[in-house]
Amino acid sequence: MVQTASREARGPLTQAFFDRIAAVAEGEKLKACIQCGICSGSCPLGFAMQYPPRRLIASLRAGVMEQVLQSNTPWLCVACYTCTARCPSAVGITDMLFPAMREALLMQGVGVPGELQTALENTFRHGNPLGEPPSKRADWIQEVDVPVTDLSADPREVDILWLVECYPAYHVRAKETVKALARTLHALGADFGVLGQEERCVGDSQRLVGENGLFEMLVEENGKTLDRFQFRQIIVTDPHAYNALKNEYPKYGVNYPVQHYTQYLASRLEELRPMLGELNHTITFHDPCYLGRRNGEYEAPRQLIQAIPGVTFVEMERNRENGLCCGGGGGGMWLDSFAYEYAKERLSEKRVREAARTGADVMAVCCPNDLLRFEDAVKVVGLEGKLVVKDIIELIDEARKG
Amino acid sequence: MVGATEQKRRIGVYICHCPTTVVDSADVDELREFASRLPSVVVARGCEAGCSERGQNVIKDDIRNLRLDRVVVAGCSPHTHESTFRRACRDAGLNPYLFQIANIGEQCSWAQRNGNGHKPKALLQAAVRRAYHLEPLQSREVPVNPNVLVIGGGIAGIQAALRLADSGHKVYLVEREPSIGGRMMQLDKVFPTLEDSSYILSPKMTAVACHPYIQLMTYSEVVDVAGRVGNFRLKVRRKPHYVDESKCTGCGVCVANCPLKRPSEFDLGLGKRKIIYTSFSQAVPNIPVIDRDRCLYFDRGTCRVCERLCEHRAIDFDQQERIEDIEVGAIIVATGYDLFDPSPMSRYGYKQLGNVLTSLEFERMCSATGPTGGAIRLNDGSAPESVAIIHCVGSRDRNYFDYCSRVCCMYALKYSLLTRERTNADVFQFYIDMHCCGKGSEEFYRHASERGSKFVRGEVAEVTDQAITAEERGKLTVVAEDTLLGRRIRIPVDMVILCPAMTPRRDTEEMARLLGLARGADGFFLERQPKVEPTATSSNGVFVVGCAQGPRDITDTIAQASAAAAEVLAMINGGKVEIEATSAAVDESLCSGCKVCLALCPYDAISFIEDKKACQISDVECKGCGVCVAGCPAGAISANQFTDKQILAEIEGLLADAKPPPLAV
Repeated sequence: MVQTASREARGPLTQAFFDRIAAVAEGEKLKACIQCGICSGSCPLGFAMQYPPRRLIASLRAGVMEQVLQSNTPWLCVACYTCTARCPSAVGITDMLFPAMREALLMQGVGVPGELQTALENTFRHGNPLGEPPSKRADWIQEVDVPVTDLSADPREVDILWLVECYPAYHVRAKETVKALARTLHALGADFGVLGQEERCVGDSQRLVGENGLFEMLVEENGKTLDRFQFRQIIVTDPHAYNALKNEYPKYGVNYPVQHYTQYLASRLEELRPMLGELNHTITFHDPCYLGRRNGEYEAPRQLIQAIPGVTFVEMERNRENGLCCGGGGGGMWLDSFAYEYAKERLSEKRVREAARTGADVMAVCCPNDLLRFEDAVKVVGLEGKLVVKDIIELIDEARKG
Repeated sequence: MVGATEQKRRIGVYICHCPTTVVDSADVDELREFASRLPSVVVARGCEAGCSERGQNVIKDDIRNLRLDRVVVAGCSPHTHESTFRRACRDAGLNPYLFQIANIGEQCSWAQRNGNGHKPKALLQAAVRRAYHLEPLQSREVPVNPNVLVIGGGIAGIQAALRLADSGHKVYLVEREPSIGGRMMQLDKVFPTLEDSSYILSPKMTAVACHPYIQLMTYSEVVDVAGRVGNFRLKVRRKPHYVDESKCTGCGVCVANCPLKRPSEFDLGLGKRKIIYTSFSQAVPNIPVIDRDRCLYFDRGTCRVCERLCEHRAIDFDQQERIEDIEVGAIIVATGYDLFDPSPMSRYGYKQLGNVLTSLEFERMCSATGPTGGAIRLNDGSAPESVAIIHCVGSRDRNYFDYCSRVCCMYALKYSLLTRERTNADVFQFYIDMHCCGKGSEEFYRHASERGSKFVRGEVAEVTDQAITAEERGKLTVVAEDTLLGRRIRIPVDMVILCPAMTPRRDTEEMARLLGLARGADGFFLERQPKVEPTATSSNGVFVVGCAQGPRDITDTIAQASAAAAEVLAMINGGKVEIEATSAAVDESLCSGCKVCLALCPYDAISFIEDKKACQISDVECKGCGVCVAGCPAGAISANQFTDKQILAEIEGLLADAKPPPLAV
């Protein structure tokens, strides 16, 4: 239990926050901060925060949180994990501190940006933040030229259960990656199926944005759904889903072997390699925060890119554990205009400039957030025609045809 | 339970208490009352500070007056207090092995302030029952071999060796590198006096070289250790120099004419050395070695320039590695530290960006005998106009090393002064907290501040060469939060010096196994007791000094090395050491000769006697660890002081008043 030394009267907001911190197993550890400031120095949006993480923790320790909670700080974190990964005192800034602040604000209904509110309501009502009907989740199967088993219609035992996740299932651009992955899995002879309209959002961003109740509801629903199907392992299209299934779901007893699709394909690289024709591109790669920094997988995506004949691979200056976030994580996808108001530039715009500086003509990604945000950013900063954003699976699919 | 047929015992029980440790005085009476009712107990007393002279006298008087034949003290840890009480028993005419501690200090009152409830009684009852079965043992005294081995020829090892040798004892000083000198030799100046490191070290090295009582074994490693305190037997691997030490005069002609160069280990790759080389110019001994892996002769049989030019015919390509046996009574471990390689902390750009150095590399650059002759230079040869020094690189960091490396703040201030003096560059100190606690350190901090160092309180987030302003172009930009201003800053500099953590040597684990040493959570060798036995270790007769035990500065290292020398001298001058009576023995009638114990014994104390078809334990080698006792499938081995009878009685005592758990239905 974090205690306060201050005489400041605790408003309901501050009280809600401290109650939440007290309820979290690791809450005590927040006090171990040595105020070194590496979090604030490392935070990609710290410059725009009224209370960057170090100052936020100093306020927490002093027990004066009211102003902090009402500042822009709680909604600017994009959960990129840089501060937490670098923190010498292992303070859970991303996983604990920010969600606790946001939860207090959500509970008290104070200052919650409208765009976020909508995404959360959509998730609650429709099982996806886009507000699309669940019945349309598997519509993409009609658009792809290989057979895909929809287990909700045809329940049978499969080797691989593929959780497609929301943006890839519904978003017109992200859907292309899903089709490409379906084709590649088919070409590899993988025995796979999807949950179709039974699938719900995995909910990692809802967790990080402070809607713990919604997250727990999704864990329960998804846990029950997964229980009903027979499969050996899960693969996911979205690194955030990978993170939740790997690190969060097991805390609730939902425990299945899970791989990001790049990890699965890398494990079958020797079968995949002979299928790949030449692609003449100079490619750079953006590490998704929740595949790389949070979960330490840096190699699988690089192995796939480098397996394509004809490709020149170049690294951005900030790569791997130092990679810059696209700005879409931790609810950032639903807080875009809020963040823009204070930062005056999107992280995705910064990042595509960094990618262009490498001389690459393709910026490879493997997270649906990255794909959508970087494509927009390329247009905003005027790099159209110079830099193309592609998911790794699209490159693999192209190379396979070519 | 003590049966009616068993022998009568006369056990005295003392419930120790003092103001801050062990039981509250209110509990003393209850415990005393409890003890007095236990079988065979003839006296039970509360005893304030039993380890004091007064307390000891109470026990001694009781032994004499009440004819006690067993003594139990409920109090502090046997680790710290057993020897004191054993001595009291012996003084009063009781065999010291008839004494037993109930450790209610550590196991009850230290662990929990309230609610000990039944536990002290259980422990006390266990101790009394065990005491009943204790048997008198004779500790043995063995003569001490007065020779001493010092492992590691840095400042710690040099100091310890000189102190011991000066007192007239033979010292073997074993050093892995071709020269002694260690890390201190790599340093330029030392804080806070700013004396030349080699200037104060060289005389000591020379003293070692010509000391009649020091046998210097450089380019050598200890590979095997047998025996025990007072009489260790060791094997030392002597690596071939390919130069005959008895003929070489150290004239240097071979080195000067060797045609090939490679990066110098001593200069951390900043400078070059020849293939036949001495580590540095003041090397002790001044005998070169040939780097066999890169020598043209060993590679393809050609060259031989050194052999041709050596007037003394000292080059000997046929020299072989040899193992030398030595015997000593005590060992001082002074193996030093490794510097953390900061490349995994990729955000600092080490080995990726130019002009990012570690502290030790900067020391070599500052040294007059270093690759730049002491000039502080960038890769392009120019002098820096601004330098950033980053503290706590890997130290105080739970992702790397939890502890503070203790010397970095001070040497970082030294770098400020040296850089200001030699280049006029702006110096930025990026620190978390300034830890300047030694004598003269605060004054040094003030001095460096007055000389214009710029202090930024904030751990650096990143070092980058990606400029975002004109001012940053062509520079290294240091990004951090200035935590005192609460502002994120970007400072362009020419050079970045990292202060990496001091870490245990890479082979610490191997060395620990060889010498039977324990390691702390930080990975360094563990001292026996941090306050009162700071150089002794869990292995009797083996002492650890300097950075092998944890980060410390030269001042502390020298003090500690001298302290260990004094410990060793006290032992040697006594002429004899007492060896614990605890040992194991084989009942030959039960031994099946399976030899399982032979492989288990860590001290090679067990041998198989062919004609008896049974194993035998040498009680000189046996340290009573009990591994064989537990491992013997026939139950043929027992350890005195830990007999089955004693242990079972102890368990019975522990459980005597325990309620049985509810039966499972």
